[in-house]
Amino acid sequence: METILRSQEMAEIKLLPVRHHSPACARQVQRVIKEWQPRAVLIEGPATACTLIPAMIDPATKAPFAVYYSYDDTAGAVSEEKEKYRCYYPFLDYSPELEALRTGAAQGAQVAFIDLPYGDILAASQEGKGMRQEGEKSNYNDDYLLSRSAYVRRLCEKTGLRGFDEFWEKYFELEGLSQDSDTWFGNLLTYCRQARESTPPEELREEGCLAREAYMAKNILEKARELAGTSRASHLEEETAARNRILVVTGGFHTPALAQRLGEEDAGASNGAFALEDLPKKLVSAKDQGVYLMPYSMEAADALNGYASGMPFPGFYQEIWEHVQEAEQEAPEEKEEAPPYFKAVLDMIVGTGKAVRRAEGSASTYDEICACSMVEGLAALRGKPQPGAYELQDAVLACFVKGEYNLATDEPMRLLRRQMTGKRVGELCRNAGEPPVLQDFRVRCKQYGLQTSTTLENEVTLSVFSKKKHRQMSMFFHRLLFLQASYARRVKGPNLQTGRDRNLIREIWKYKWSAQVMAALIDASVYGGSVEDAAKGLLSERLKKAVYAREGALLLTQVLEMGLEGQLEQVYGRLSELLMSDMDFYSLAEALRLLTMVRQLRWLYDSGLETRGMILTCMRRLLGLLPGMAKIKEEDMSRCMEAMKLLYQVIGRMEREESKDRETSGISDGEDTLLDSFFDALTLMDRDSEIQPGVHGCVHGLLYGGGREDVKQIEQVCRGYLTGTREQLLKTAMFFRGLFYGAKDLVFVGNTFLGMLDQFLKQIGQEDFMLLLPELHMAFTYFTPAETDRIAETAAGFHGKSRRELQEQAAVPEAWYLYGQELEEFALTTLSP
Amino acid sequence: MDEQKLLRPPVEVRYREELEALKAVDSGKRPENWQLSPKAVRTFILGSKTPVTYEGGTVTIGKKYFGNDALVERCIITLAGNRGLMLVGEPGTAKTMLSELLSAAICGVSTNTIQGTAGTTEDMIKYSWNYALLLAKGPSREALVPSPLYVGMEQGLLTRFEEITRTPAEVQDSLISVLSDKVLNVPELGDEGILFARPGFNVIGTANTRDKGVNEMSSALKRRFNFETVMPVREVALEKQIILNEVRSLAAESHIDMPVDEDVAELLATTYHELREGVSDLGHRIDSPSAVMSTAEAVSVYYQTMIGGYYYGDGNMDVNSLVQNLVGALSKENKEDLGRVKDYFNTVIKDKASKEGGLWKQYYEARKWLK
Repeated sequence: METILRSQEMAEIKLLPVRHHSPACARQVQRVIKEWQPRAVLIEGPATACTLIPAMIDPATKAPFAVYYSYDDTAGAVSEEKEKYRCYYPFLDYSPELEALRTGAAQGAQVAFIDLPYGDILAASQEGKGMRQEGEKSNYNDDYLLSRSAYVRRLCEKTGLRGFDEFWEKYFELEGLSQDSDTWFGNLLTYCRQARESTPPEELREEGCLAREAYMAKNILEKARELAGTSRASHLEEETAARNRILVVTGGFHTPALAQRLGEEDAGASNGAFALEDLPKKLVSAKDQGVYLMPYSMEAADALNGYASGMPFPGFYQEIWEHVQEAEQEAPEEKEEAPPYFKAVLDMIVGTGKAVRRAEGSASTYDEICACSMVEGLAALRGKPQPGAYELQDAVLACFVKGEYNLATDEPMRLLRRQMTGKRVGELCRNAGEPPVLQDFRVRCKQYGLQTSTTLENEVTLSVFSKKKHRQMSMFFHRLLFLQASYARRVKGPNLQTGRDRNLIREIWKYKWSAQVMAALIDASVYGGSVEDAAKGLLSERLKKAVYAREGALLLTQVLEMGLEGQLEQVYGRLSELLMSDMDFYSLAEALRLLTMVRQLRWLYDSGLETRGMILTCMRRLLGLLPGMAKIKEEDMSRCMEAMKLLYQVIGRMEREESKDRETSGISDGEDTLLDSFFDALTLMDRDSEIQPGVHGCVHGLLYGGGREDVKQIEQVCRGYLTGTREQLLKTAMFFRGLFYGAKDLVFVGNTFLGMLDQFLKQIGQEDFMLLLPELHMAFTYFTPAETDRIAETAAGFHGKSRRELQEQAAVPEAWYLYGQELEEFALTTLSP
Repeated sequence: MDEQKLLRPPVEVRYREELEALKAVDSGKRPENWQLSPKAVRTFILGSKTPVTYEGGTVTIGKKYFGNDALVERCIITLAGNRGLMLVGEPGTAKTMLSELLSAAICGVSTNTIQGTAGTTEDMIKYSWNYALLLAKGPSREALVPSPLYVGMEQGLLTRFEEITRTPAEVQDSLISVLSDKVLNVPELGDEGILFARPGFNVIGTANTRDKGVNEMSSALKRRFNFETVMPVREVALEKQIILNEVRSLAAESHIDMPVDEDVAELLATTYHELREGVSDLGHRIDSPSAVMSTAEAVSVYYQTMIGGYYYGDGNMDVNSLVQNLVGALSKENKEDLGRVKDYFNTVIKDKASKEGGLWKQYYEARKWLK
């Protein structure tokens, strides 16, 4: 069997290797605990979670749930950056660790977690390795060490299986159903030894593996001594051994190493030095570590969804687990029903058939029958005792997908995947313990009279600018939104990010309590103890990570909405840096738009701080980059034109304000104004021979608007395009678009431009016209309907038509219709045989 | 049949020894009328690492189909069941080869085949008459000319239906009742005119997704088949292996005594792979030609070059003639393809030539033939 260590004076220690999330493994663990009756069950998992064990085994707590670990590196133990870290340790009903907790506690054994606390694991790992890998979500129980070695790859090749998961299912899950615990764990241990041997030791050190194992060994030895101490009173030796049994449940990858460490200790030669080698010298402060339970979902637990690890298809294996448990409880003579895998596969086939019928209505019962016989046939062919997840997928692919397998026909496969993933969401018992941020959330909700007991959606209307309480509620909702807790969503109200609906003075919110809100808030607990503090914490992190001025400006608007006035200075500081470092014209333009808006709204949101300096910086940066924007891609044209116009408007506004100031103060300086630099930049752009025609048009439009150019000059440029080579001629449409965007009143200055446009249309053929139609259409969208009418009238005038003639069309005389009908009948009778 | 005189002997003749050896050692359960058990069929197609002992010696079972092993397993199980098997995919993805291998292994005959064309009629699928006998003796079994489908039902064999989607949809539909009831009615023969299919009978259809596709197939017929989509090989190494294997066996059949050049095979496999996938291993984005870029095409380009070198050249693979043959293979569909391949040479091959030199350099220099 798996390693058993005997120690005369101490305890009997049994090390069980497990794979996180495996029904077969959970069942074997359950068996061993029931049969062996250990006095203590020690489980791999950061020791800080020991306090959560009562809540984890509470019958009201329903899996999937996760232990959430957070660590705030205030001491800089991990890196100089002093960042905040978090990770998850998901549990499903069929997780061997959870089963060990449940059965162990039910049998009256002491249960405990024995791994290094989360913060210390981080401190023991190198940057980018192990749990410090950059990723969407970091998981405590990652099986990658078992499944990604070269050894595994060769094994799969040799057995003709598609990958580690299929290998595991065949040899451990399916064959494990009929094996006794000794054989099963023996096989697993052999496998783990091989995987361990093909992993280089330096990798183990870098990933913090060795430090963790040393800490686990230390805890196991301490427990053994403790048990020995309490049972010394007993004189009967046999009884002592029986009462001092310790079961250690760890990931299979660690078992061989633990056995080695504890084995050396047993020999007594090295006096425990080897067992504790690599142990961290100093542990990080406990007050920086957080640990909470949170509800989890099967979707998040599915290995194939990218960010989690463990076994794929949690929904499928959950069903297997339930069937296995049912069978276990039945008396042996009653066992007539189909074996667990077959039952689950059948359920999934029927469920998929139903879902396919609902979605597109093409799967028949006969398809399901064929799929069932296929899973059996494939299982027999592949030498599996029962069909598993891979046979199920193969059968649905073969029997449900009609025609070529592609995006249009893979609906059955998608529906099957969804079923195999499962959609169960966990629940926590009442005394699960909540992080302060969640408690603060509840207090606030009560204070504002918001429901947190029902899951029905409620609506609330807030007069944010007239009632103080409403403004506070709005701030609360905005903070939750910022923390990505899906409690409330704004249905109506001013939106500072897009600049829409700023005329509205009321906000309408819909809010709904759900387990996801709880999960999101627990997730955010690393940032602070209250909703406000958490929002501040997240804000600081986002500010630190921001690269573009646009991001900084967006955060500024969010700060206003969230009412975090205290953070304004911090945001301003960072934003000023970003404005200086950002090289992206569009990002700066967006920042300018947001900043001017914030300036306009400063009294409304009583931000009090002066944004003028930042706006000036932003404008200077934009002016510096502007000449380089002459040669842009066509798809960037409208963005660029918008930015140019915005810049012109903002500069104009600032200049007016300044001249007012100057009048009052009586000082005038001889420096170039911003407006001058703007027009200089435009002139520079104009000189670029490869200027994009739309931008070119816009440049001239703006120059005209600013009184730097007259109609004649623009006319000349326009003629240049019109009389140019064919390609240049075709660019005229785009030039007009830019021109009208920059200064639409040009159209109404005499008939020059419309005349030129008319000439242009005459010059190009039907085919080119169709090609340019979208561009021409865009050129005229900037006009109001009344203006379009005026343009049409002028255009009609060029061709000697009046407005009336255009609008009225002569009706087709009735006689023509009759003649046409007659003609058709004649043709029909003559041509038909 | 004398093997030497056949241009291309059928699978069951080519691999007679392997099939017999497998049959001799096969202890698995066989569906009724199958020559081999499903496990042995799998071994025959996907090969076995340990040789089979047979009549005192050993027989190595080679891997004959590369790509997706699970697909082969699904095909075998489908054929043991109640539904027909429909292999669909791009041209040159070895659909026909797979269907031949399956029928040779399962019923020992891969030649019981209907060749679907636009001119296929219903009596070619079901049965027709020998008119002289019909006039002389009246309708009788003797005067009836059985179709491959009829033969398959009568003897419990697999019937292969090649290019099923090339035949008109109405004609395809004559399969519907045969596949669901496993009965063929010949009204002219009166009471004796009902032909019940024997166990072992099934249909393997192949359909090309390029020209007509399976969209026009009636859904009633679709429901009587399990579909398997055969994808082109996605790994260069595997593609190279296929080219080598195929060319070797083609050369052996034509008695061309010339070694197969692995480097050239890799060159060709890489070219086809990159042009098909639209991205090179160095990361260039490539415009894919619209022509079929299948492994089978690559094999034929290689083989043509080989024959050229054997009869006209110095018995070596000539890169210039390789590029010429490549042009021939690519200029089937439209003119733009050639331009795309030219661009491919001027960017990707150019970079590879400067990085790796050697054969890649010769290959790049041979781009003058691309016109």
